[in-house]
Amino acid sequence: MNFRRMYRTFLVGAGITVLSAFVQGHQDTAEPRLNMPYKKMGLTQEQAAAHLLNRFTFGIRPGQVKEVVDMGLDNWLLQQLDGKLPDEEVNRRLPAANYEALTMNNEDIVNRYLNAGQIIRVAAKNNLLNKDSVRNLDKPEYREQLKKLMDEQGYKLPQELHRQLVNQKLIRAAYGQNQLQELLTDFWFNHFNVSLTKGQSQQYVLTYERDAIRPNVLGNFNTLLEATAKHPAMLEYLDNASSVSMDNDLARRQEKNAMARLAKQRLQQVAEDSTKPGAKILQQTLAARKTQGLNENYAREIMELHTLGVDGGYTQQDVTAVARALTGWGLRPMYKEGPGMRLMQAANPNVLAQRGFVTEGDFMFRADKHDESAKTILGRRFPANGGYAEGKEVLQMLATHPSTARFISTKLATRFVSDTPSVALVNRMADAFLKSKGNIRTVLITMVNSKEFWDKKALREKVKSPFEFAISAIRATNADVQQPFQIFNWCTRMGQRFYYYQAPTGFPDRASYWINTGSLLNRMNFGLAFATGKIPGVKLNLAALNDNHEPESAEAALITYSKILLPERDQDDNIRRLTAMVRDTNLEQKISEAADKNTVNAADGAMVQKEMMDVPPGKKTRAERNHEKKVLGKKNLPVTTVYVAGNTNTVSQVTGIIIGSPEFQRK
Amino acid sequence: MVNRRAFMKSGAMALFAAGFGGVPAFIARAADSGKILLPYKKNKVLVCIFQRGAMDGLMAVSPYADAHLKALRPTLYMSPAATEGSMLDLDGRFALHPSLAAFQPFFAEGRMAIVHGVGSPNNTRSHFDAQDYMESGTPFSKSTNSGWLNRAVGLLGHEGTPFRAVSLTSSLPRSLYGDNESLAINNLQEFAIQMRGNPLATSLASRSFEQLYDQTSSQILNRTGKESFDAIKMLNVNGIKNYQPANGAVYPNSPLGNSLKQIATLIKMDVGMEVAFAESGGWDTHFGQGTVNGALARNLKDFSDSITAFWKDMDAYQDDVTVMTMTEFGRTAHQNGTGGTDHGRASCLFVLGNDVQGGKVYNNIKSLAKEELEDGRDLPVSTDFRSVFSAVANGHLKINNDKILFPGWEGNGLGLMKA
Repeated sequence: MNFRRMYRTFLVGAGITVLSAFVQGHQDTAEPRLNMPYKKMGLTQEQAAAHLLNRFTFGIRPGQVKEVVDMGLDNWLLQQLDGKLPDEEVNRRLPAANYEALTMNNEDIVNRYLNAGQIIRVAAKNNLLNKDSVRNLDKPEYREQLKKLMDEQGYKLPQELHRQLVNQKLIRAAYGQNQLQELLTDFWFNHFNVSLTKGQSQQYVLTYERDAIRPNVLGNFNTLLEATAKHPAMLEYLDNASSVSMDNDLARRQEKNAMARLAKQRLQQVAEDSTKPGAKILQQTLAARKTQGLNENYAREIMELHTLGVDGGYTQQDVTAVARALTGWGLRPMYKEGPGMRLMQAANPNVLAQRGFVTEGDFMFRADKHDESAKTILGRRFPANGGYAEGKEVLQMLATHPSTARFISTKLATRFVSDTPSVALVNRMADAFLKSKGNIRTVLITMVNSKEFWDKKALREKVKSPFEFAISAIRATNADVQQPFQIFNWCTRMGQRFYYYQAPTGFPDRASYWINTGSLLNRMNFGLAFATGKIPGVKLNLAALNDNHEPESAEAALITYSKILLPERDQDDNIRRLTAMVRDTNLEQKISEAADKNTVNAADGAMVQKEMMDVPPGKKTRAERNHEKKVLGKKNLPVTTVYVAGNTNTVSQVTGIIIGSPEFQRK
Repeated sequence: MVNRRAFMKSGAMALFAAGFGGVPAFIARAADSGKILLPYKKNKVLVCIFQRGAMDGLMAVSPYADAHLKALRPTLYMSPAATEGSMLDLDGRFALHPSLAAFQPFFAEGRMAIVHGVGSPNNTRSHFDAQDYMESGTPFSKSTNSGWLNRAVGLLGHEGTPFRAVSLTSSLPRSLYGDNESLAINNLQEFAIQMRGNPLATSLASRSFEQLYDQTSSQILNRTGKESFDAIKMLNVNGIKNYQPANGAVYPNSPLGNSLKQIATLIKMDVGMEVAFAESGGWDTHFGQGTVNGALARNLKDFSDSITAFWKDMDAYQDDVTVMTMTEFGRTAHQNGTGGTDHGRASCLFVLGNDVQGGKVYNNIKSLAKEELEDGRDLPVSTDFRSVFSAVANGHLKINNDKILFPGWEGNGLGLMKA
């Protein structure tokens, strides 16, 4: 034994320990180290990997548990927390030719994807809507003319914009590499909900998700809050763009200014002269101006829904004061045919800046619409003439408030851990939120470092939303989705018409909201339709999932595909129950019994069990027997498609049942 | 001694044992909690129809006797006359659009009430906001999670059927957002396990699912799964497909007609529905709304034909059903430059039922003189929509809890229902 060498080794080792302690100590202030206690909680690496994938992705792909174990759970999660993996597959599936809007800015979108009212105005301007054609609005000739006009001008319908938005979400969730980023995009979009149902904001929803939400989902909460506050979609959705005050010098001066008064009179004259072009729009603009004032919608929701929470300790006075602080927060005019655009073009940017106007991208702070007087918000005094900076400070104050830390931590824990997260876990996360000044990564790391996240009781406790359910089916089967909108239609039927949730609360995040009789039936039907190839534009190769080995029996198919689709789950009970049904020596008899027991509707294939009302066997009427013959004899209804070994239909039916099963609804 | 509840419980069981050969899980659960609605048959049903897009109340039910109207609407004005196809006088002041002729007998018989000048105290003229406020029932708060009809269902407190609130729409309307289970379904025939073109496999799949949901450890999936399969058994799809309306009623083949037909089907199946919701679109008549003919006339015709067919079909159920229509706001008093009308404030609505004190146009409308108009242009809201909704919910469904139904509202219900 060489003591000297041992001693040297010890020294080096100690040095490394000290050094790593130093590095670690340094890291502690920035971000806690990942230290996931799954072993302590009695989970194997595989189980832990499956749980991570269940909660931090839109579903486990075949073989993915092993991939994660091989690369290390920590490494996988850190990669996801960075969200910087290349996304070739997504890019390939979203070609520019079909998805031009995905890279367009607001101004281009607004001038291309017109809303219904704008299209009609364009038609009127082009004399398509003269007095003769008004009566013929529904006629095909008129529609054709309108279509021609739109083609010539390059205008498109808003539905086309919405299609691109909807499809890209489905594609990113199903095929994206940065799953956690996408999951959080879904989470934060829902938290800061805006909706396609509101005409004034629908044109901006695509860029809202792309520019305000997605880049900020793993960053700082204040950045996220400010990005949403200043985006046209939110400014329009919760009306802050039309919340204004005349309590400022500019407005007062303008009132006094003789020239301005004269200009106003002239505008009024034009508006009243219906022979002048644009008189109508001007009229509406002037009428709208008259009724303008403070609108508290956004101020209320930013506190109740976005930051403090309804019990976060604010009063109606705080709501009003926040609304006043955010007066003048609006968007710059972008529609080329709109009246605001001409005013903007006439204005001198230097003069505007001098007067306190601020333009950042499409956001515009209008000093002449801002309430300049002093305010008190949550006990803090904001002196007069705070301008644009005042609103920013208010947001910062809300973003870092202890109530916000608790509210956001509760929501995150509800999404990722359980519908009823423990107080201890929420407090730990809230502490991390406050200490890191709202660093979302830090809060998430604190969450996965907690025992509660790995508690066996929490495993599979969350029920997938319809969107998560549909995407997880696509991922579990490596399905090739060529018509994503078909999946959207199914999500609607299952109760989640995403991007169209009308209320600013967003979809509630709990099983009892998603699971009711109608939506559950649709989940089962989705499973069957999906796996048996009945959803247009969805291609499956189920045999490939099992290396093109054909299962020997229906029972074998059940066992094999349960393991592929639901890795690391105890499926014994399910398999036992179903086996009794699929492994049946009297298959033919069962089938004829099944035929007896069911009312078949050949026209559309819809059917229902009526077991309870059936005539006992042996007492069938002739009509019933004939009916049975008809059904069994039908060419498109071969008896052999039901659970017969070596039949590909068997595999798809079994897969459909697994996808529609309760176990697959859980994550 | 058998107490009342025990009797009612056994009654429900017997009913289902006879009809279905088994007691559906949701009936059993509700019976256990004592919240079942009994007798299960013949409960009260409120049918709400939302006319999305804002119906022009001044043309549907026109205050034709007001001289200002003709001046405000030179080419849209219609007056009652002896000739066919003209407005139908109701009371010397208001007249029905000829496309609503089917309503005239209801009005004459006193089972239809019209409320005019109705709308929201919030003066928004945005479809989105106005619908949101009307459906949440809180005209000044957007963050109300639930819809007023969902709260109504909660206040009724009856469990025991997944069909207690049904919307015949593809997604749940704002009115039914909330904690009480509500069903949105466009087509009742879809309420089954389906696998197109393979009924045998469907049957096996259905039984497989039933087995799997029966044994899952997740409580909510287990419970809802059981209830789903019971609900399928309860809803006889063939009965839906081959449904024959009573009294030779013919529903228009329109979205509203189809919705009301399915609502009638559910009512007659006695599945315990208490609130039904349907909607009708195309009321946003900015351009060429027409008079005797035209876009609005067509829409009104579909609207009244659908409701009339529904009422005729209700037959023996008429005493238990009340229909209430609603629209988010009205339209400008004056016509615009393109033969239409723009977003305004107050409109009118219709309430039809045997417990309605009908035959009257309830209103507080003054005149259409410019100084009486809101912002000099719109029929002002002189009746809060909540005073109508509350009166109908209280009168027909016996809810009597305005604090929960319309939080923050201090007003009183309109006396349009029989005591």
